[in-house]
Amino acid sequence: MSEINITKTIDARGSYCPGPLMELVKAIKRGQVGDVYELLSGDSGSAKDVPEWVNKMGHELVYCKEDEGFWRIAVRKTK
Amino acid sequence: MDQPKLSVILLSGELEKLQAGCLVGSVASMSGMEVNIFVTMEALRAFRKDVINARDFKTAGEVGREMLNKKVDLFYQLLENGKEMGNLRVFGCAMAMDLMGWQKEDLIDLFDDVIGVTAFLGKAAGSQVIVM
Repeated sequence: MSEINITKTIDARGSYCPGPLMELVKAIKRGQVGDVYELLSGDSGSAKDVPEWVNKMGHELVYCKEDEGFWRIAVRKTK
Repeated sequence: MDQPKLSVILLSGELEKLQAGCLVGSVASMSGMEVNIFVTMEALRAFRKDVINARDFKTAGEVGREMLNKKVDLFYQLLENGKEMGNLRVFGCAMAMDLMGWQKEDLIDLFDDVIGVTAFLGKAAGSQVIVM
């Protein structure tokens, strides 16, 4: 498996819906194509909501996995 | 292809309804929809600068009260984010403003315009509509 270079990790733990998604959207909007943003979220809805948003907007979901008590979701900006 | 459109009509001054309507609107805007929000009746009062400064919101029950106790971005902050990250506009109801003698300066700096219902219907044409 090739290594994933995370451009920036956004720690949105402690923030309620839709806070984590908003933090990610802000980062992607300001970022460059090819950047990978890793979102940390304690809001369990994020695990369903963020991939849905990524799919809808045509970006790439790198992974969405549960860590100890929170979620790690990585997204590559594709456009 | 036309951008899909959503209209949100905020009537209630209850925090839970304001929060739900603004949450749907802001996320829709971040997801590429054109969003128009019409704020009227008691909902308009919640957008007054003095009301927001005092956090003087009506709550329907425990969810709203907990929202005020915890660090949650409230309805007007959700709309600010929706505007920043997408195509979202907010309109105040001219009738309610006239009736109450309120000026645009009494409201927080979030409103694109104060308009009547005919003008809003024009903006809402062909959209999904949510009423809160």
